[in-house]
Amino acid sequence: MPLLLRFAMTILATATLSACATTATVGSHVDHDLDLSRFRTFDWGPADALPTEDARLTRNPAFKDRVQGAVEKGLAARGFQLIARGDTADLLIHYHANISQRINVNHADSAYVYCSQADCPPDLVEYEAGTLVLDVVDARTNKLVWRGWARTSVDGMLRKPDVMAKTINETVARILLRLPPKL
Amino acid sequence: MHPSRFRLAALVTLALAITGCASTEVRSYVARGIDLREHRTYNWARDDARATGDPRLDNNRFFQERVQSAVDEQLGQRGFQKTDAPDLIVRYHAGVTQVIDSRRTENSGDCHECEPEVYDQGTLVIDLVDAHTDTLLWRGWAKGSIDGVIDNQQWMEQRIDEAVARIMRALPSRSAREANRDKTAA
Repeated sequence: MPLLLRFAMTILATATLSACATTATVGSHVDHDLDLSRFRTFDWGPADALPTEDARLTRNPAFKDRVQGAVEKGLAARGFQLIARGDTADLLIHYHANISQRINVNHADSAYVYCSQADCPPDLVEYEAGTLVLDVVDARTNKLVWRGWARTSVDGMLRKPDVMAKTINETVARILLRLPPKL
Repeated sequence: MHPSRFRLAALVTLALAITGCASTEVRSYVARGIDLREHRTYNWARDDARATGDPRLDNNRFFQERVQSAVDEQLGQRGFQKTDAPDLIVRYHAGVTQVIDSRRTENSGDCHECEPEVYDQGTLVIDLVDAHTDTLLWRGWAKGSIDGVIDNQQWMEQRIDEAVARIMRALPSRSAREANRDKTAA
């Protein structure tokens, strides 16, 4: 029981930390019947209608190249092969990149023990949150079989290609970690 | 991860979620003079995909199919039948917005108590439309905090089921006798 308790506390601590830190939160949805071992090859496919996208990202060739490169590398490491031009792939991949204004509560303020309303530091911090959504579609049925995403603050990143590149590599790797194992 | 530990982890997450979020508000309204029990059959609107305001949910069939199966189940329990020539068309709309709950800032005095709360608010609207006249007969919705819910598929599915069940509770139920009478008449 003490072990379990410690485990639970670790989770609590992690959950609390991740809520405040600027590291990306990741998530994924999967077709419960998905068996990835049926698929060997992939290609880039057309995006859906309804794009919620941000031109600062999607029309930025450096961004596109970096995301595509990171995804291709990550999928190759998982044993999927990028199809040669003209062939048909088992999986079609596409992604959406979106930026939205979000508000964060700055919990660091609790450190100030006493302050009257007037001299309290601002509690609410506005930031730009970037969301990268990666879709994996079964090419045969044209159905989405897996979707993974990451959301992180992109403040300042748009003008710093180095930071952007590093963040993309890290977040794409973290998203792809959530792909179910090949059985 | 060991299954029992996983369960524990899930429990902890759930406990966090329950204490952390505001309660879900559920409402509905019905068109004046309409008895929904006179409508027996339904089907889904074709191509109902609309932007949700959250890229994680746009064109997300895992979300869409869960909502539809939850509504199918609730309507089925109330004696409605899914047919190709329905009386009712069912539509739904989901939206996500970040909201600031400033209630706590109104407390005067100590700043420990005046911290505003910020959370992702999810809204799920379910519409029943007259298939022949295209008029809205019934609308039910649920609105509440969904912080962290979308990122966790299992949790999202559970919240969808709960929200749909609560929304549809306001729907008049066809009695077993009424449903049986239809069957024998058909």
